[in-house]
Amino acid sequence: MQAKARQLLLAAALLLLPGAFAQTQISIGLFPDLDSHVNAILEQFQAENPDIKVEVRVLQHGDHHTALVTNLATGSGAADVVAIDVGFIARFVADGGLVDLNAAPYNASQYQDLFAEYAWLQSSTTDGRLIAMPTDLGPGVMFYRRDRFEQVGASIDDVIKDWDSYVEFGRQVTRDTDGDGKVDVFLIADASDVARAIMRSNIAAGDGVFFDAAGNAVVESDRFKEAFRVAKEIRDAGLDARIGSWTNEWYEAFKRGTVATQLSGAWLLGHLQNWMAPETAGLWGASDLPNGIYGSWGGSFYGIPEQSQNKEAAWKLVQFLTTRPDVQLAAFERIGAFPAVTSTYGDPLFDEEIPFLANQKARQLFARVAQNIEGRATNPGDQIAEEIVNSALSQVLDEGRSIDEALAEAQRLISRRAR
Amino acid sequence: MTTGSRTTTRRPSPAKGAPAGGAPVNGTPVNGVYARTFRWHRWQRRWAPYLFVSPFFILFAVFGLFPTLFSIYLSFQSWNPVQGLGSMKWVGVENYQFLLTDPWFWKSLRNTIWIALASGIPQHVIAIPLAFVLVSGVRGALRHPLTAAYFLPYITSTVAVAIVFNTIFGTQFGLLNWAIDGLASWPVTAWLFSGIKESLPINWLGRAPYIKPAISILVAWKYFGFNVVLYSAGLATIPREYHEAAMVDGASPLQRFWHITLPLLRPMMFFAVTLTIIGNLQLFDEPFILTNRTGGPSESGLTLAMYLYRTGFEWLDMGTAAAMAWVLFLVIGTATIVHFLLSGRRGLERRE
Amino acid sequence: MSTPRSATNKAMPRAGRALALLLLAALALLTVFPFYWMFVLATHTRETIFAAPPPLLFGDALQRNYEGLVATLPFWRNMWNSVYVAGMATVTTLFFCSLAGFAFALYEFRGRNLLFGFLVASLTFPQLLNIIPYYLIIDFLGWLDTPRALWFPGMASAFGIFLMRQYIASAINRDLLDAARIDGATEFRIYWSVALPLIRPALATLALLTFIGQWNNFLGPLVILRSRTTFTLPLALRSLQGLINTDWGVVILGTALAVVPLLVLFFFASRQVIEGLTAGAVKG
Repeated sequence: MQAKARQLLLAAALLLLPGAFAQTQISIGLFPDLDSHVNAILEQFQAENPDIKVEVRVLQHGDHHTALVTNLATGSGAADVVAIDVGFIARFVADGGLVDLNAAPYNASQYQDLFAEYAWLQSSTTDGRLIAMPTDLGPGVMFYRRDRFEQVGASIDDVIKDWDSYVEFGRQVTRDTDGDGKVDVFLIADASDVARAIMRSNIAAGDGVFFDAAGNAVVESDRFKEAFRVAKEIRDAGLDARIGSWTNEWYEAFKRGTVATQLSGAWLLGHLQNWMAPETAGLWGASDLPNGIYGSWGGSFYGIPEQSQNKEAAWKLVQFLTTRPDVQLAAFERIGAFPAVTSTYGDPLFDEEIPFLANQKARQLFARVAQNIEGRATNPGDQIAEEIVNSALSQVLDEGRSIDEALAEAQRLISRRAR
Repeated sequence: MTTGSRTTTRRPSPAKGAPAGGAPVNGTPVNGVYARTFRWHRWQRRWAPYLFVSPFFILFAVFGLFPTLFSIYLSFQSWNPVQGLGSMKWVGVENYQFLLTDPWFWKSLRNTIWIALASGIPQHVIAIPLAFVLVSGVRGALRHPLTAAYFLPYITSTVAVAIVFNTIFGTQFGLLNWAIDGLASWPVTAWLFSGIKESLPINWLGRAPYIKPAISILVAWKYFGFNVVLYSAGLATIPREYHEAAMVDGASPLQRFWHITLPLLRPMMFFAVTLTIIGNLQLFDEPFILTNRTGGPSESGLTLAMYLYRTGFEWLDMGTAAAMAWVLFLVIGTATIVHFLLSGRRGLERRE
Repeated sequence: MSTPRSATNKAMPRAGRALALLLLAALALLTVFPFYWMFVLATHTRETIFAAPPPLLFGDALQRNYEGLVATLPFWRNMWNSVYVAGMATVTTLFFCSLAGFAFALYEFRGRNLLFGFLVASLTFPQLLNIIPYYLIIDFLGWLDTPRALWFPGMASAFGIFLMRQYIASAINRDLLDAARIDGATEFRIYWSVALPLIRPALATLALLTFIGQWNNFLGPLVILRSRTTFTLPLALRSLQGLINTDWGVVILGTALAVVPLLVLFFFASRQVIEGLTAGAVKG
């Protein structure tokens, strides 16, 4: 009796133990709004991989990256899978701490053709390593209010011909429509958005935005002077509303039609129609950026820290999130994360008319832009350079500093800071 | 300390460390169990103070001193923490040299001092007379709720406060602009706000000239109540007889405030102002969250502590960040010493 | 001016007192209003929060915001984490700081001034500077993502000891110690039975300051804590205040709920702290 009971117990233990041991617990570190997507899609992942249990960790965008830096530095504390924003990717390319996904057993290069080329290049190192898999892109487009264009009789093709025509349109559209003595329609939320678009276009082959191929800062080049000049022209003419991105005033400006155009990533559409200004459905349109430029606004990646103890399970999750067209499309639908996997662009979803944009088939535009963006060099100093250039820009726009002086100082600071 | 054999006098002589010896207080002969007890007592009396203060010094050595020493060493290095300890490179005083030519550094230093003064001075200028009126002129039942009200902002987390003030400082829907507009339109107060009305709505957090005032408003609002409580406590230690004697002499409240309260409040003022100097020069949370970690347009809300954090943790230039911390330390040290010299020796003395 | 009235401590003339009271009340209203407003906003959605004029009365979105809050965060778990960290910090700080403050205030021992000067100097040191080495130590100890990394290093804070020393020096007469010694008490016994009861008001003050400090601590948890389930409230709230699409009604409800425990604590403890400070001072 007793022996039998013991046997039974042993059998039960043997049955239960393998199951208990086999379940691998991994974590994924995210910033909003990626968590909305991952939380929703996780059920599917765990159904397909019952042996893996995923814990989702979310931090505010900046906190997430700062914590990731410390975690990679000290070799502990990072999640098994980490999301990385494109603004930080070059930093991690240079600094290491993430596994080379091109190496065995990951062999990520087998997937290279699936992805938009420039995104793949952004997380690749010069010596051929891949530190993270692209997951979404931010093809740059211009959103515009059709009603504001009609009111001044402008056509979108004429407006986006070049920057002069864009500014000229600004002079027509910026005015006081209700006669209360205050201007209530502007060309754009902030002139600096225009400068950012221009400095990211017409980059010489091999160069990055802020650095040339040799790693020297190039912010005193004509590209930056032109960007600053156009922005200053817009500011001096009073054509921008001087509203910072992601502020309540920004949302309200979209709601009220205070801004006639906005240069942004395609993902702005998701925000506009879901919560920023759903009541303005049908009033909007999307177009190429002015002056025929292509640029990207944002984008994210998934990497695996070298410190991870569960790299195999982590890799499964990364593959699931980045290489699966169905998962990529789900993210596109849910949070407007434009797929990095180009094969998805043939999906019927891309032919659908978008009611919010007056039934424009805008996803085709987004896909065309995404495919036209050229790969360009990234530099670990990109993030620093961007902050310094933004500061120089606000000195020029807000404090009347001369463009040459501000850029010369920016050049000096970037060279020292990004050493 | 040592009572020695003077069993009748309770007044201690300010003796140094070791007891001078002598018979146990009750005069029992020194032998046997008494001797052991006596030795134990002597021993524990001698070492107790060291034992009592040791936790601080042990913890400080591990979590404070070591990091401090490490940061001195760091300030002469070029080091990106993400590349591991091996990437540390000796650069001598280059970090310090760079700071002296770095316009962002000077700007953040100016910002820090601007905000420290603009938020610090009102705190004390309001808190001292407020505490005086509170302690001397308000009946007990009312005094407490008022003090508690003033103290309330201090107990609230900076994250919470910043979230609420983000909405208060809003441009189009902000409560502050709405209130200013209301006051500027109301005939009784219009004259006070006549100059401001034209610039409404003020973009408090989006335009360079308004960021420092916005931060200062928040900081002063958050901490003045803490000073009211400190000063109330200080005022309450002033014997009532002083005021009564002065009243008999016909001194007005203002005279009593000026000639009795202020001088006797000096130790507490020294304490409170020291805390404000040290706290304000390290100001981080409030500007960090109000400007969404950027420092605002043209870095006009960037404080030294924020710039330090950004340099070290966002730009990963730990060497320069460490050098900046030492400069910040120097600034705080200088300010504290200047304050010490200005308040004179009396500021430190215990009132008797 | 007015003649001094008998008996009471009426220190000001009546008209002046009325005016002063009015000013005091107005100022109190100004400090309390944002809290009232926070609770108002917690019952509104983003649409009504950002409307002109701003809402000044309670709305009807409380239920909706609460559901949003608990759906987005393990909110009550975060609350417990905050309680635990702040509670541990308070208990340990009270003990170690009053003990050291007691020694610094009432003993003459070799090196006292040097040690105390060192302690005060350590107050002026920018905390930020230590974050990376601090993080390295916590990591070395294997304390990452644990609450003890937050309260342990600060158990004997320089500020607490400074505060305690200042209070004890003015509130306790050395004669008292000698009297206890005559009765054969050990030094620790004297601290425990004689000094502690006399410094209760200061202990209450320090307890409040420590609890508040830890409750509101943001930078420390940000560096140490990793998972949503170990987050303290400020971290949890900040994770809600994301880059985009912030649901302000939910964030502000979370903020309000995070402030409530402190308000409750303060409501009950403030009287003891403030009256304690006053009473202790009158005796001195």
